Amino acid sequence: METQSDIFSKRLIISVLWNIGLQTFLAVVLVFLIQVDILHPVSWITSTLHDIFGWKMGLNIVLLILVSFFQAYVYGSYYMMPLPKYFTRFSTFLNMFSVQNAMFSVLYALSGYFTMGLYSSLAKSNYNILKKKCDFYDGQCLVEPSLFLQFAGMWMGLYYFLNIHIFGTTMLMFPHVYQDKFQQIKLAVNNILSMGFRNSVMPVAYYCAFYYLWGNKPRSLVSEAYSLYLEDPPLDNVFNLMKSGIWIGLWFYTSLFFVSVYTMRTIFNIVLTEPMKFPIESSSSLVLHNALALRAQFNGYLGAQDLRIMSMTDLARRQQIYTLSQPGGHPRNWNNLLEQCISIINDFSKELDAVNGDGKSNEAEASKLRNGNVSTSNGFQFSGNLRNMAQSPKLKELKDHNKNKQEDTFINAIKDDFNVFVHKLCQKPGINYLFGELTDTKLKFLLMQAQPVMWTCEGLASIAAASLNEDKYGVVQNDLPIVISTLINLKQNLDKLTKPGLVPRKHILNDSFAIKMKTALISSVKRSIYKIAITFSKYIHEIPLDPDIQVALQPFLMCKEA
Amino acid sequence: MSAFHGFPELPGPEEIPFCKLNEVYCCANSRYGNISTFTNSTRSHPVINVTRDIHHHRTTDENISMYIDVEDNLLKKITSVWYKQGFLEALAVAADPSVNRESQALAYAASYVLKVANVFSAFRYFLQPHLKDIGPKIVANYSRTRNWGNAPIKCIAWHPHTTKMAVATVDDNVRIYCSEVAFVSTLKCKAQGHVSSLSWRPFSASELAVGCEQGVIVWTVDPNSMFTKPSSSNAVVLKRPGHSPVTDVSWSPNGDLLISCSGADTSMLIWDVSMETAVPLRRVAGGGIIFARWSFDASKVFAATSSIIFRVWDTKRWKPDRWCARGNHVVAACWGPSDILLFAAKGEPMVYALTNTGLMSGSQTSKALPVLDVTKVELPSGDTVGGPILDMCWDPTGKYLAILFEESHLVTVFCTTKLMLQLKITPCCFVCGMDVEVPSTIAFQQNFSEGACLTIAWSSGRVQHFPIIYTDTY
Repeated sequence: METQSDIFSKRLIISVLWNIGLQTFLAVVLVFLIQVDILHPVSWITSTLHDIFGWKMGLNIVLLILVSFFQAYVYGSYYMMPLPKYFTRFSTFLNMFSVQNAMFSVLYALSGYFTMGLYSSLAKSNYNILKKKCDFYDGQCLVEPSLFLQFAGMWMGLYYFLNIHIFGTTMLMFPHVYQDKFQQIKLAVNNILSMGFRNSVMPVAYYCAFYYLWGNKPRSLVSEAYSLYLEDPPLDNVFNLMKSGIWIGLWFYTSLFFVSVYTMRTIFNIVLTEPMKFPIESSSSLVLHNALALRAQFNGYLGAQDLRIMSMTDLARRQQIYTLSQPGGHPRNWNNLLEQCISIINDFSKELDAVNGDGKSNEAEASKLRNGNVSTSNGFQFSGNLRNMAQSPKLKELKDHNKNKQEDTFINAIKDDFNVFVHKLCQKPGINYLFGELTDTKLKFLLMQAQPVMWTCEGLASIAAASLNEDKYGVVQNDLPIVISTLINLKQNLDKLTKPGLVPRKHILNDSFAIKMKTALISSVKRSIYKIAITFSKYIHEIPLDPDIQVALQPFLMCKEA
Repeated sequence: MSAFHGFPELPGPEEIPFCKLNEVYCCANSRYGNISTFTNSTRSHPVINVTRDIHHHRTTDENISMYIDVEDNLLKKITSVWYKQGFLEALAVAADPSVNRESQALAYAASYVLKVANVFSAFRYFLQPHLKDIGPKIVANYSRTRNWGNAPIKCIAWHPHTTKMAVATVDDNVRIYCSEVAFVSTLKCKAQGHVSSLSWRPFSASELAVGCEQGVIVWTVDPNSMFTKPSSSNAVVLKRPGHSPVTDVSWSPNGDLLISCSGADTSMLIWDVSMETAVPLRRVAGGGIIFARWSFDASKVFAATSSIIFRVWDTKRWKPDRWCARGNHVVAACWGPSDILLFAAKGEPMVYALTNTGLMSGSQTSKALPVLDVTKVELPSGDTVGGPILDMCWDPTGKYLAILFEESHLVTVFCTTKLMLQLKITPCCFVCGMDVEVPSTIAFQQNFSEGACLTIAWSSGRVQHFPIIYTDTY
């Protein structure tokens, strides 16, 4: 059975291979262009070939491989983790100083250093070595431009790391249309090149400012350590810096560095987001409903995406869902799938409800969630007709009773008091700034994870709509009431977020991505309900629905819901 | 034998056809006749006649002359032209000796810069000849609406699920007519100019995509709202550099993706509207994409380019099959049930069918089969019909095919039946307008349960609903 990390690591390796290929291509193109000699094309080509197959290039490729593996590791570790939850400024701040981040920043600085060195050596610049023979003295002198470049490499590595991983959230964005990998790369090349050259302007400017202010320190340090003389004019002077022209080189190499990291990022994104086909029934590999069960993890995303694609385009697998198991005659495939879908949607709407309501209901929801998890993971109320003694409600009550045994002890009272005190303390202005919960973060956090929920809703609705013609045994129609009421429930919870005039402060989103996510979610839930309502509009009265669900469904039947 | 043999005779000079009921072609006097004497099926349909309420205040090139010219100083003139029309136009103003009398040196310099720029643009047009026409010209060139620039109705679109229709008028407003409510919502915002196409989002009651010069505007018109002029906060403008003017928009039948095409852009954009992101689809050769059509089950997309090449994309893997039309670019195409595609090339009186049997898609040498020859003929009444095809529409059930011709004022409706994988096309009826009216554009209603309802926008601004009803009991 394929596990979670299997698929992920397989894809990471594929992307590293792609990456190495592309990076080598980039290096070769660079070598080719650097040696441009239109007057002597033969010598141009031979010298290029000579360089390409030289030992230096080999060494560089080994270096590139190391860097790409490192990048894959970093991306892997960021994508594998579920999104971090920070609701206060303080925790966000604290989190920046984790061990992992410190390690990564060092590694990024190193990779920046090596990559810059690599490109500058490929470009045959004179700034690869720190030492040279002095022109005027007898001894070794410092080549300051190469020091400047080497430090710049580290700077750029750090800059990129801070920009992308610390101040931005690393999220996998699944494209809504997945083309061939090659086509996607072709389309992205233009963008990568222009972005690389454009985005490198600012860090270069920052670095020049930095070097102007503190450049003398590393210089004196290095020259002392190697006991080198200084003979050229120092670079931490605006005029000298401009005159040396090293900043043009720096901008060029920085752009190449950015182009190379953007290429890596793009390739990871392309390879990782490729839709995957999960079988409905299989004993050897991960099946769809198990993939769905992984929720916010990478495979959960793939599963939800596959559910949507399958429900819209894949007739053969849809047929499998509508079949009954042999022997037994239970719609096992459908039940498993439905159970996962419903629990994904329900959990999301519960969390949304918790954000809508205030702290009080939170507690209740949490306990409900706990119970909900128990019931969803084991006995699904519609799945079997067999009596399950172990799941009787009485037993659950007993279990709960045991759990909540510790009641009014002294310690608990103190704990409660302490909590109240902390809560009060948090209301104080200065402390509130650091430790107070940020207003929109909870909703934002929730919306960031909404993508699989959207896919699940659409997938479920499409399967239900297709069942009208394809489902011979009526397995899906049996469960239409739950599907409809789950979707309506989610829609009602979403409506609370946008109720005109009544929007509490915590629902006002400042992040444009989260706002878009919200509209996308609302639109997809409404479309799903419309799909079912319009498909079954003739038979809607034969579906046993709760009166309030029926009322909520009315505008959809009349095409009056915006 | 001509395809027009066997049509019912056209009504007399004072009469127009109103509907077709169970093979009976119902005509009545154009002034006193009323469709409700024949059928009640379109009783609640919106009555649309746009000439009365068009506002004549658009700023096109024609009526810019009615403003009085104000003498500005040269710098102000140049900057305002630069701001409004771009750098090159500003250069042209600076170089123009009739405008720029003050500074000879500037005129001299500007004319030289202009010459250099012209060399570059000539080179660019040499590489990409489809970019030569600008803005509205491209739309007018490829539009399926007759006389797109001046017809009172530019395009119409029926909602896929309810009796609701969007009409784009010559002043670039989009009006929403609905069967249940009496008032008409008018959609207008600053970015909405040179509207070329409309498309309602399936599985949604409120979203309408409007293709216009700048890009695509997606309106959300709340059906419960009582505002007749929704503010532009209900609109999302989707645009991309190089993707202008948009010549066609179409939603996928699932309502999840929106395709926008521009005659000046070689890639077709697939939008995720709520995230406002687009994926370009592009292949070598073919020039700008004029329009795209989704098949009923969203498994295929037909895309016509401005050259003879057209493509059929498979939406599972987003890979195209490349086809070539004979002679000229494809002007109209429509999908029918079970993935049949009908298309017609510009200037050719022939309808081709592309059927998706395994045999057809499997072999590369297969050709599209001609299914209907509509060579121009003269009817006994003296009217001419046939000739080059302007637009085609197939009703959602695949029973009726309506065709507009470039050189005829008759809308021709054919019956189509599929027997043993073969498409059979038989005559149904003609629809003619009052007096000198010519049809501008046509559309079939999407949710007409009694048969098919063809909606025709006439050049006078009148919109006619022409129901073709067929009951089983008959």
